[in-house]
Amino acid sequence: MSRTDREVSATSAERFFAGLAESGHIATFEREWATIRFDILDPDEHAHAQSDKSERWYVTIADGSVSVTRQDRPADAVARVSRPDFEAITSGRLNAQAAVLRGLLTVEGKMAALVMFQRCLPGPPGSKGRVAPISAKAVMAQRRDT
Amino acid sequence: MTSELVQILEGNTFVVSDHGGDIEASATDPTGLFSFDTRFLSTWVLTVDGQRLTALSCDDLQYFKARFFLVPGTSTVYVNATMTVIRQREVADGFHEELRVLNHRDSPVNLRIRIDAASDFADLFEVKDALKKSGQYETRVEHGSLVLGYRRESYFRETWIGSSQPAEIDDKGLSFDVTIPPHGEWATILDVVVSAVTAAAPGTSVAADSRPERPGRSAGRRLARRNMARGLEKWLERAPELRCDWEPLEQIYRRCLTDLAALRFSTLTMPGRSLPAAGLPWFMTIFGRDSIFTSLQALPFTSELAAATLRALAERQGTRIDDFRDEDPGRILHEMRYGELTAFEERPHSPYYGSADATPLFVILLDEYERWTGDTRLVRDLEHAARAALCWIDSYADLQGNGYIAYQRRNATTGLENQCWKDSWDSISYRNGDLPGFPRATCELQGYAYDAKVRGARLARLVWRDDVFAGRLEREAAGLKRRFNKDFWVQDGEYFAVALDQDGQQVDSLTSNIGHLLWSGIVDKSKARKVARHLLGPRLFSGWGVRTLAEGDARYNPIGYHTGAVWPFDNSFIAWGLRRYGFREEAAHIVAGILEAAQVFAGRLPEAFGGYPRDLTRYPVEYPTACSPQAWSTGAPLLLLRVALGLEPEGEHLLVDPALPKRIGHLELLDLPGRWKQIDAFGRGRIDTDRLETLATHAASRSRR
Repeated sequence: MSRTDREVSATSAERFFAGLAESGHIATFEREWATIRFDILDPDEHAHAQSDKSERWYVTIADGSVSVTRQDRPADAVARVSRPDFEAITSGRLNAQAAVLRGLLTVEGKMAALVMFQRCLPGPPGSKGRVAPISAKAVMAQRRDT
Repeated sequence: MTSELVQILEGNTFVVSDHGGDIEASATDPTGLFSFDTRFLSTWVLTVDGQRLTALSCDDLQYFKARFFLVPGTSTVYVNATMTVIRQREVADGFHEELRVLNHRDSPVNLRIRIDAASDFADLFEVKDALKKSGQYETRVEHGSLVLGYRRESYFRETWIGSSQPAEIDDKGLSFDVTIPPHGEWATILDVVVSAVTAAAPGTSVAADSRPERPGRSAGRRLARRNMARGLEKWLERAPELRCDWEPLEQIYRRCLTDLAALRFSTLTMPGRSLPAAGLPWFMTIFGRDSIFTSLQALPFTSELAAATLRALAERQGTRIDDFRDEDPGRILHEMRYGELTAFEERPHSPYYGSADATPLFVILLDEYERWTGDTRLVRDLEHAARAALCWIDSYADLQGNGYIAYQRRNATTGLENQCWKDSWDSISYRNGDLPGFPRATCELQGYAYDAKVRGARLARLVWRDDVFAGRLEREAAGLKRRFNKDFWVQDGEYFAVALDQDGQQVDSLTSNIGHLLWSGIVDKSKARKVARHLLGPRLFSGWGVRTLAEGDARYNPIGYHTGAVWPFDNSFIAWGLRRYGFREEAAHIVAGILEAAQVFAGRLPEAFGGYPRDLTRYPVEYPTACSPQAWSTGAPLLLLRVALGLEPEGEHLLVDPALPKRIGHLELLDLPGRWKQIDAFGRGRIDTDRLETLATHAASRSRR
């Protein structure tokens, strides 16, 4: 993979995590606490999961608030996935649970943390539903404090 | 045929074999070792000197353990047998089999003992539908074990087979050349361990926590098995004690508890907690609807199933629009699977969300759970999930734009057409037999929605401290009830239509669904008597229970799955509904009918039985289905006990208001668990359920709501 290619794809992982960090609070994560480490591997690095070329991200969820860092810290779960599969998962083209069953996404530690995390992933592109999508905001609008 | 097969299981790992313990599966034959919806062994055949064995007897020792007594040869002449073979098998992460060969001669004997083993690694769906596989098989010998493998891209499953005695291993099995002394014995342990090692990170495993241990020497797993047996004993000990004049009820109760224990399983995300799977063996997985109904039925006896079900369903609550999985934000899942077809997104069960009732039922269970246990912590933990579920009801579920829950699948190839509990293709019909189009709004869904709002309001006030939201839910519930009693009421029949069709018009057949409406409380007091009269009337009531569809409607068929058969689970909720509206005698008739049917089935109610009039067949005619026990049939007698004793939590107390069939006589339930710690309930049978004719007129004076 050429240097420019890598920069382009790294940007998409960065974009995903930046988006998470930006949202700051995700309602479906309320009363949940976990840190998940993501090791994003380039295809040719598959055999060396610990290679220093792999991109490593930490997502910490604390009662709904989400923070993202690349600083090493203990994690409840470690998810390993190739860069193309990561992009497929975070763009909704590949279902995270299916990826786990297929061995494309491997999890060490607490499976529950990953299952929780996947709630913030998008659905498949092109899925329209039958009713106009309702934002998480609409759910929250029922609440006293908003 | 199912009755000749022997099933043992633990969690979602199960073994189905013939009476001798052998497995010889074909592509569509439902025998084998299964785990996580995958068949890990399709051949497991024992021979001695090349000869098959004949089963003398087979004991189901426990739901996870069986013992087979065998003699060599397939002839019917056993008298000359000079040898006995005993196989004892227990399910673990695969299974553990002790093989003992006893020589009855007074001279030594040389034998070649062989186990043939193979696996097709079929997905459960493939076993049902006979589909072809697209991956490759591989076999090897490693660490003295035979390893069967299957690989499709990065999807990788293995079966490890090892023995405690040295074996000659080839890629089709294990052989032992042994000499057994006079009146002596030879024994080995065979361990079969399933594994879902992934190519990307060897050592990471879906099915087991670690790489398979060296089979045959795993003290750790033996310990786990002992815990399993103790777990069952503890489960039975913890359950309330039942004493009763009518002896069959004690047998039924014990059967229910044992079957419910077998139906428990843990998900990978909550290893220590068990929730009820839908049925053995093919539905050993989370089903939103089945797990919720079963948890509701069992609540007076154990609340742990409800707690685990609520957490597991909340964990995987829908959060996005996914047409393939029929997922919407807030929607509670229908079914979860782990097999190859799910892995490759050829089936949508990762999980699949095509259920229109699981979402309101989730809120109902959460409230009922709190009423029994006082566990407000769980209610707080699941606040967002419950709010999202309530939001789903008014938004994504309102497909007709008329304020009612309706369903129409978006996955037109592998999604479910009928997303209510009556999920077969012809379950919802007009009187004349025509089938309505989509979206369909079945009536019981509206009842559940009403109940979910009422109960959601209670939780909002009590736990979430949000009176504004509570008030809104109550207003919505009242409005829904008002509209429902107008829009669904079939004037010329005086009952509620089973559904509104795609044009919002009534689907006017008479069905058992109206009983669920009583349970939900959506029925106007003025209409309840008429509903009760239909439920116990000649068109719906068979003498054993309420038929799914009334005699006289075009599609009625006494052995139609959802078009005439009687479902014990359905009846347990109908009986609850009748009690809710004060119809004590009517409820007692259903209690008596279903419990008497349970007696005929030796305590284990089938999923459904024929809707023939009771005086015609004398015995209930079982509807043939693949699964037994079914969770919600297992739970039905438990709920009927609650209904018969009139158990109702009221604040910190448990009210007891018995309305028992005479036949039951004196009934005691001791140590009922709940927020009151433990309470005993007593009742005496006073209602004569052998006479039915006076019911309808009595009902007229008794409606209390």
